[in-house]
Amino acid sequence: MTRGSEQGVVAADAAAAPLAARTRGLRKVYRGTVAVDNVDLDVPMGAVLGMLGPNGSGKTTTIRMLLGLVMPTAGEVELLGHKLPEGAALALPEVGALVESPGFHSFLSGRENLLRMAAVEPHLGSNRIAAAVSESLERVGLTGAANRRYRGYSLGMKQRLGLAAALLVPRRVVILDEPTNGLDPAGTREVRAVIADLHAAGTTVLVSSHLLSEVEATCTHVAVLNQGTVVAQGELADLLDSGNAGLLVTTPDITRAVDALRDNRIPARAVPDGVRADLTATTAPLVVETLVQAGVPVYEVKRDRTGLEDLFARLTENTESSQDTDLSEFEFPIAEEAR
Amino acid sequence: MTAPTADLATAEVSRPTARKAPLVRLLRSELRMILRRPRTLIMIGLLALVPVIAGIGIAIAASGDDNGPVGDGIAALVDGNGLLLPVFALVLAMNMLLPLTGAMLAADALAGETASGTLRSLLLAPVSRPRVLAVKAFGVATVTLLVVLLMSLTGAVAGVILLGGDGMLTMSGTQLPFFDAIGRILLTALLVTVQIWALAAIALAVSSWTEHPLIVVVVALGVVILSGVLSAIPALDWLDPVLMTTSWESIPEVIRDPLPTGTLLEGVLRAGCYIVIGYSLALSRMLSRDG
Repeated sequence: MTRGSEQGVVAADAAAAPLAARTRGLRKVYRGTVAVDNVDLDVPMGAVLGMLGPNGSGKTTTIRMLLGLVMPTAGEVELLGHKLPEGAALALPEVGALVESPGFHSFLSGRENLLRMAAVEPHLGSNRIAAAVSESLERVGLTGAANRRYRGYSLGMKQRLGLAAALLVPRRVVILDEPTNGLDPAGTREVRAVIADLHAAGTTVLVSSHLLSEVEATCTHVAVLNQGTVVAQGELADLLDSGNAGLLVTTPDITRAVDALRDNRIPARAVPDGVRADLTATTAPLVVETLVQAGVPVYEVKRDRTGLEDLFARLTENTESSQDTDLSEFEFPIAEEAR
Repeated sequence: MTAPTADLATAEVSRPTARKAPLVRLLRSELRMILRRPRTLIMIGLLALVPVIAGIGIAIAASGDDNGPVGDGIAALVDGNGLLLPVFALVLAMNMLLPLTGAMLAADALAGETASGTLRSLLLAPVSRPRVLAVKAFGVATVTLLVVLLMSLTGAVAGVILLGGDGMLTMSGTQLPFFDAIGRILLTALLVTVQIWALAAIALAVSSWTEHPLIVVVVALGVVILSGVLSAIPALDWLDPVLMTTSWESIPEVIRDPLPTGTLLEGVLRAGCYIVIGYSLALSRMLSRDG
């Protein structure tokens, strides 16, 4: 790097933490509508990065620009060290992707669709196509339905086939846009298992989702998008630490519980079916003791495990009123309650 | 490894060559996919039947009581002149059915695949955008040729069986021997194919702009109809040299003796111009569009 000092700094950064993908100042404007603005995304090598954001927050547009499908209005994209879209031929063979709804021919069977995908796969020798397709079908549990027409597939099966196409050849990066869409709980678990396998094998995975539990369960890193910009990103553990701890107490006597806690200088607020006590300045046993002494019937006590949801709500709710983003879709009670 | 390339110049030098999927594998996969699509198969089946139906119609008309000619132009010659049936059927299909087929194939090739998301899969593999267009063009062109050859075959067989004759009576009144007649049939097939390729090239350009296959078909047929209307207006005769349908109208000339090479070549040349224009537009759009 003998170029300008700025370049030198960037190179030093990259040496410290190798990145599988990164964007700088990424912007996309569709006919006057800003879909993505000034996105600086870092996907560390070997990480499982969860991209979180409400619908319309720019997740899919960002992913499409990462893959060279969409030309950015401004900014740059680098995938596995290659600039996109120019370097697509070098980067994309090592990248498996499931973007939006999986695209397949409805009149072909699942296996035939994968054979077609395999035929255009640069890093797949012609003699290995049949085996690769069978292995991929096996991996997503579609072997039994492989010879049925895609037309007759359920939403979950379509999603699995999309995953199978992304995993046809060993990849260095796998990008999954809403991979658990339409999957039943068993399918969701399988996708998690696939992501865990990929992670164990050292593959970098980028998953976009609006299901927070999904991201919390599978990711090492998180990037939160809202209104086309990254509002937070980093390691999951770090982001969770920045959220405050809480205790959820289920009780029918909410008013008395809140009063009792506040009388004892424990910050608390009402949530459906009970109260949430803030644990920043106190401990769980103390909260329970206070409530019991105040004569509040306590049915259930649990740690507030919704750290990411809380964080997500805080990061995205301030703009909620200006956007008609429907947060109820995210199914987190705290955001509901906070309104 | 993730360090950004210093500048474009060094990037060019140090750039390793990217591996690509073998072209033949791509083309074979494309053809297999098109020929598995139910509507393509139905279209091919119906077009193969067109010469047979035309042959039956002429046979019935000819066996009627009045001994007048069956129709005008080529139709009048076909009775008892079976090898002329494929030429007649191709000219007949040139009015609507073959342009429709070409437009439909082109519509499915890009617009249809954009709508179903399968084009995105190709781009992600990745297949470069010019290569995608080339593969699609190959698919459309090959299937068009296949359909026209199939029509020629069913036409020749049905003609000989239904209408008889072992040679070809030309419009100039001469009789061509069997093998010359087969040559004329193949020549007709090629001329018709090239004309459909021209229309398909325009349709493919439209197809690269939209994700609605129906728009492609409507625009392509609109071009055909408009072109026909314009060429029918005497005051606009000066437009004829650039109209696609001018070449189409000259196709029946193929059964004159001797062959009017000039007129036919001019038609091919005109089709060539449309093909160049169509694919240039399609390519420029393919390179700039979002996938």
